[in-house]
Amino acid sequence: MGAAVGIGLRAPHAAEIARRRPPLAFLEVHSENYFGDGGPALATLDALRRDYDVSLHGVGLSLGSADGVDRGHLARLAALATRVAPRFVSEHLSWSAFGGLHANDLLPLPFDEASVAVVVANIAHVQDVLRRPILVENISAYHAFDGATLAEPQFVAEVVRRAGCGLLLDVNNVYVNACNFGFDATRYFDALEGATIAEIHVAGHERRGGLVVDTHAARVGAEVWALYREAVERFGPRPTLVEWDADLPSLDVLLDEARIAADVAASARAESVAA
Amino acid sequence: MTALAGRQRAFLASIRGREPLPASLARYREQAFAGWHAALSDAYPVVARLVGAAFFAEAARVYAEAFPSSSGDLHAYGEHFADFIAGYPHAADLPWLPDMARLEWALHRAQFAADAPAFDAGALAAVDPERQGAIVLDLHPAVALLRPEWPLVAWWEANQPGRDGTPDEGAAASAGVLITRHEGAAAPHQVDDAEAIALEAWLSGADLASVAQRLGAEADRLPSMLSRLFALGAFAGFRLG
Repeated sequence: MGAAVGIGLRAPHAAEIARRRPPLAFLEVHSENYFGDGGPALATLDALRRDYDVSLHGVGLSLGSADGVDRGHLARLAALATRVAPRFVSEHLSWSAFGGLHANDLLPLPFDEASVAVVVANIAHVQDVLRRPILVENISAYHAFDGATLAEPQFVAEVVRRAGCGLLLDVNNVYVNACNFGFDATRYFDALEGATIAEIHVAGHERRGGLVVDTHAARVGAEVWALYREAVERFGPRPTLVEWDADLPSLDVLLDEARIAADVAASARAESVAA
Repeated sequence: MTALAGRQRAFLASIRGREPLPASLARYREQAFAGWHAALSDAYPVVARLVGAAFFAEAARVYAEAFPSSSGDLHAYGEHFADFIAGYPHAADLPWLPDMARLEWALHRAQFAADAPAFDAGALAAVDPERQGAIVLDLHPAVALLRPEWPLVAWWEANQPGRDGTPDEGAAASAGVLITRHEGAAAPHQVDDAEAIALEAWLSGADLASVAQRLGAEADRLPSMLSRLFALGAFAGFRLG
């Protein structure tokens, strides 16, 4: 058995997917794109929901806010989850708002006990309201706060363990952070509890100046496929999503990336069984 | 305030400000403003096209500083842009620009407004003629009515993708602009003064008898007005008041 592979659903591809119905295990959407009361975007999602499993992937809930998550935002998410009955509801292990001001970006947290406590409390509240466990995704970052008492993977694992949520392991983000902060990407996996990993993301990055930037605007890099293979060998296959958010290619390019993910997972599994 | 709260407040203030930042933080400033700019372009494509990329980018930056994002949903961003433009010194020579922004925000909201069940025209026709005056027509949740002073619909249409920006000849301002969402697409439509008066009456929940009264001498136009507005998807249902 290989991995169940899906792609991120972006509006310009929706009509073509509805027409061709390519064989994909699931579609993942950004939750906030469907926060409206009605209209064509929701109608398209309702229609695709009949043919595909759908996962909700949020970008704006701000699980790391020191002053808690926004009630209205959470209520919208809960209503959408009731409507869509998603396979997974996921959010990022980051913050984006404080005091009513929003950056609308995935900002890094200091890796310390105070952050763990805030995030764990916020996740508990979200899971209470949604009445289901969520997945949290490790982010890419370009800034590290002074005074960290945990390494990033220990921080991620501790949040997941104490919140009782699942982990959405983004191997591109692991790779990007390993490059920018100078750590060994494969050692990152040592800290993780395999049973908590419910989904894997792969995406493209680009080199800009001295940095590797998580752009989601290119094909998945060879190093990220290698890291993905290693994750599958270590943890077993997981539902896997190809993310592409900017400079969208044709649907066929995304389907080709999905095919590569399935091939890599299938061959990785074979090696692991042989060993 | 906890240490984390203090750090988050300071982080937001630094990326929203204009003080030089180390490269690691400057990237977050760049990403945040790029995200706000993109959200504003998505909501105001015609304004962006009419003023040009450089003007729009600068206006988007000043807007983001003046009206901070207050939602984790970027579709909610840009609500105050028309009012901002009205007071933006560089747009002082473009007196029609705030109204075009109001039109685009109404279209943006209409795309996300609630759905309504298909209108049951048969049930409406079956109302006892004696009681027709008590019919209260409910407008579709996507409906908005604007009263701009400019031929905005012609200008808006001329600046849709594939058009070169030249309005149709003879374009004139109409008494009102009606926004509807019909078959999944929000669009603006010109309405004349009588139609605008009737729509204002329906927006306030008036029944057909009082709509006719407000139309005065133009009340005999109600049947043709209704059939046009039905075709545009303006109504969601009716009740007997």
